[in-house]
Amino acid sequence: MFDEIIRLYDSFTSWLFQAAVQPALYAAGMMEWADDAFSWMDFFVFGVVQVLVVYAVCRPLEAWRPVERWEDRRVVQTDVVYTLLARLGLLPLMAFVILSGVQAQIAGWIADLGWVAPNLETLIPALESQPLLAFALYILILDFGEYWRHRLQHTLPWWWALHSIHHAQEKMTFWTDDRNHVIDDMIAALWFGGLALLIGVPPGQFPLIVLILRVAESLSHANVRLSFGRVGERLLVSPRFHRLHHGVLSAGESGRNFAVLFPFWDMLFRTGDFRRDVFPRTGDPEAMPSLVHGGWWRQQVEGTQRLIATIRGSG
Amino acid sequence: MRRLALALPLLAAGFLPGPGRADVVFVVNSMDPGIQVVDAATRAELRQIPVLREPHHLTLSPARDVLLVGDSGGNEILFLDPATGEVKKRERIANPYNLEFSPDGKLLVVTGLRRDQVDIYGWDAPTMGLNLLGRVKPGDMPSHIAYRPDSRFTYITLQGSRAIAAIDLETRQIAWTLQVGREPAGIIWHNGKLLIGIMGSDHVAVVDPEARRVERTIRVGRGAHALFPSPGGGPIYVTSRVDSRITALDPVSLDVMRVYDVPGGPDCLSFDEQGRIWATLRWNRQLGLLDPATGEVSTSLVGRSPHGVLFRNWNMQARNEAPAAPLAR
Repeated sequence: MFDEIIRLYDSFTSWLFQAAVQPALYAAGMMEWADDAFSWMDFFVFGVVQVLVVYAVCRPLEAWRPVERWEDRRVVQTDVVYTLLARLGLLPLMAFVILSGVQAQIAGWIADLGWVAPNLETLIPALESQPLLAFALYILILDFGEYWRHRLQHTLPWWWALHSIHHAQEKMTFWTDDRNHVIDDMIAALWFGGLALLIGVPPGQFPLIVLILRVAESLSHANVRLSFGRVGERLLVSPRFHRLHHGVLSAGESGRNFAVLFPFWDMLFRTGDFRRDVFPRTGDPEAMPSLVHGGWWRQQVEGTQRLIATIRGSG
Repeated sequence: MRRLALALPLLAAGFLPGPGRADVVFVVNSMDPGIQVVDAATRAELRQIPVLREPHHLTLSPARDVLLVGDSGGNEILFLDPATGEVKKRERIANPYNLEFSPDGKLLVVTGLRRDQVDIYGWDAPTMGLNLLGRVKPGDMPSHIAYRPDSRFTYITLQGSRAIAAIDLETRQIAWTLQVGREPAGIIWHNGKLLIGIMGSDHVAVVDPEARRVERTIRVGRGAHALFPSPGGGPIYVTSRVDSRITALDPVSLDVMRVYDVPGGPDCLSFDEQGRIWATLRWNRQLGLLDPATGEVSTSLVGRSPHGVLFRNWNMQARNEAPAAPLAR
């Protein structure tokens, strides 16, 4: 079955590339980028797959056991806009493409020196013949990086000025995962892409890792009364675990439950909250109304102003 | 007895001589990434050689006893035994996208597509040693390689600069550059001329290296890519990745003899001793086999984005003879 899925996916990407992408590159005089375009077309296809998979997994769950029910879902629609803008992978793609050029220079320079660049396979040669294990280790390390990025979003005032847009949502759904300021998204993409390149994530595996983390993050934001149980809650981030992070008492620097995929990091750094078997209201009581109810553009402007004010020390 | 025990697994894998021993095809998958060794008769995978990041091209050593594969993303060259597929050595080399030995067998030129560099290495066959003699920065995205038969000059296509660069291998300096068309890719030396696949267009440019001018263009199909002279002075085959075809050119007149539609974006080619053509089909993750006599194409699945390809005939390996067919480029 897995082979059949891969075959279908390959058939689709092959058709898309030959029918649309390559002729467009040819017409634009950009055929020197054909190889790269073929690699990175996966990002767009994966973006579409992400939205479809996330919707297929999360929407039935939200309909089944919602934590909250709302008549007015307009603010949720704003989060849908966020998702469609972010999920096509444009920002991580840009960061990775830009960094790839830089990385090729740096890694080539290092190779000239005869020194082995620090990626996982060269540090642990056994991984060269264990691609699945290497893949799992990449995810673990990247998730560790995401934990610390998330903590810093809550700790550094200028970063919280941006990240508070994410926490202002009082009607949290699986769409809320992408409710971020574009500057915050860019920093996140550079952080994630930079770490991926530092540890040498193979370009072909990068989109799959992004997909796994994205699906997990969306599920954790879903408006569903779902816990993974006493053991499961400590293995994978659940909607209950992450709802505590978004609870009104958890916004800002006093945040808890920062993990994205593995709660292990919260256990290790003593920021985990496994005790409260509750599904609190979400939102940031200190958020301005425009951050709560405004549209995408209004929130972006507001976030930028808050960032500037914080940097100037008047925020 | 012990030797036999050691040999059995290899016999089972089809890597030692024996009755019915199969010929093999090496396929370099740039996006999986790895090198597949495929049984030419059954198309079954005999061996998978993992590669660190993003391999593209391969070439045989002058003595044809070592197969070099460049892993451009992993910054290393793998040295394989072409008879067994065994990895003999790995060496850190900056961004080895394409690589080819000079006709006199003394030098290896390596293009670094992403680093805009061309490295010239001295080759020490006994130790499989590469000694960096010089680095040239000829322009944007240096890609494919050709030589003048006397090994004095190497010619490099510059995909991002619409040009080719002639590099003097004695001084290791750029002798001249010439604009040849949008995104030039493959390049070969043929009867005193340079033939260049113009990937951003639909033709092969014929360059007179003495006069340093494009003297003729030959229309072959959109996305003209790489060129491969067939064994024994037969037709020159040109791949076109956008129109997905292989065009046969008359080796004397350079006129188009025949066009073969080969779906999937044919890229590199290698010839077997029956005159059939093994082709990597980049966008379909397939290895194609074209019979130029009938025009029939059969395919089999390989890894993602297969690029370099090399057919190896067992008898030829056993006798350690040079193949009549040129190597995949």
